[in-house]
Amino acid sequence: MVQNKTLKKTNSKQMKRFFFLMAAALLTAHAYAQDIYSCRNVHLSFFSSAPLEDIEAKTDKGVSAINLKTGAVYFKVPVNTFQFKKKLMQEHFNENYLETEKYPYAEFKGKLANPAALSGDGTYDVTVEGTLTLHGVDKAYREKGTITIQNGQLTSSSKFKVRLVDHKIKIPRLVIKNIAEVVDVTVQATYSLATQK
Amino acid sequence: MKTICLLLISCGLYLAGQAQDLSKMFEDSTAGHQPVIGTFKSTRIIMGHSNETLKKHELDFRVAHRFGDIGGSFGGGKTAFGLDNSTDIRIAFEYGITDDLMVGISRAKGSGDLSQVFEGLAKYRVLKQTTDDQMPVSLSVFGNVTLSTMTSSIDETSASHFEEFTDRMTYVAQAIIARKFGDRLSLTLSPTYVHRNRVGYMDMNNMFALGGSGRIRLSKRLAFIAEYYYPFRSQSSKDYYKAQGIEFFNPLGAGLEIETGGHVFSVNFTNSTAILENQFIPETRASWLQGQFRWGFNISRRFSLFSKKDWKK
Repeated sequence: MVQNKTLKKTNSKQMKRFFFLMAAALLTAHAYAQDIYSCRNVHLSFFSSAPLEDIEAKTDKGVSAINLKTGAVYFKVPVNTFQFKKKLMQEHFNENYLETEKYPYAEFKGKLANPAALSGDGTYDVTVEGTLTLHGVDKAYREKGTITIQNGQLTSSSKFKVRLVDHKIKIPRLVIKNIAEVVDVTVQATYSLATQK
Repeated sequence: MKTICLLLISCGLYLAGQAQDLSKMFEDSTAGHQPVIGTFKSTRIIMGHSNETLKKHELDFRVAHRFGDIGGSFGGGKTAFGLDNSTDIRIAFEYGITDDLMVGISRAKGSGDLSQVFEGLAKYRVLKQTTDDQMPVSLSVFGNVTLSTMTSSIDETSASHFEEFTDRMTYVAQAIIARKFGDRLSLTLSPTYVHRNRVGYMDMNNMFALGGSGRIRLSKRLAFIAEYYYPFRSQSSKDYYKAQGIEFFNPLGAGLEIETGGHVFSVNFTNSTAILENQFIPETRASWLQGQFRWGFNISRRFSLFSKKDWKK
């Protein structure tokens, strides 16, 4: 009996410690979840201005996540969701230039230069550094953007330039006057707190 | 203690894994079944239709031309290898009503029993091949009606002697089954039905045919194309015409397809003289082996209409 009692005691001690640790683990998980913001309808558009033609395309099918604690930033968009004014242009974009059957996604993995600055509500100018994979070709980027935090909502926006040659997107000489070599890309996203799965 | 440690380690690993790679959050949002694009560059292959349709609010202006025999008794140097003659010319306006449904009207000179032909056509994309092969093939259906405006022949046995208005009309119904293999090769198989309201003696009002075609992409803008039709003409009909000194041949074409922005330009060689299915399937009487093939071209120019209006939406 005595032996049993001591056993029980250790058991309950262990259980207590276990619960405490579990609670701590859950709390960290909870705190962690508060740092990640995600968006499933990132708006992306690009604009190319060439002597003969302005080309514009947009999509709202991008996804993104930002971890405010670590500063990790992630963007991904199915390239064939970009909508053009002219459907024929869209077909050429997918088939000849971006080759979306081979390279279906464009992806950006990066980091905020100074995540600690993002404390509380406000609008912050940020710098993001990372790698953009487009047309299967990686290229390092360092771009400026804006992050606004207000009432638990986070919005981000950025404008940057992509040089087609950096991503081995070839423009035939025949249409060189229709397609610019440098394309202006605009990104806009409204995030909400990521729900822990 | 062991269990706790394990739990903690797994918890930690889980968190660390997530912190490192935010991309994991979106693994469920992959694009799914994506339709294969650009099985063919144009709505036509050489003679017949491909599975492609025009997109919504696109207008396609098409001109097709078939010249005279390159060799044989009508060809050679004296006709500049057929350049002096045109066996058929077709001018068409075709239009995409939705991304999958197109309609068109055309006028063809016509080559065969009937000439001076108006055509109305429609094509609908029923199935689209997907990149993950959930749907292995594309399927489109095509149909047309033609009306000849030529003067009725006074010869009552002639196919162009019209007793009734409907004698001037012919129809084609076709299913186009297509598959793109990788990004270079596309193949089609097209079961086809041709109905001509009025035909000559021992000719066939109803005829089935099987078409087959292939496209090999040589570069981004250049492709090799070939097309063949096998018409199922009855033996008795063949025998009758052979006795009259008329032999029918199966249409075969080969060519190059060049894409330059909004234009698709196909330069081809065919034995068939006619451009419309209604004629080249049942009425091809020219033979490759006797030099009775010709060069021809199809030009397609696509325009996007209402693009600004559609864009606003």
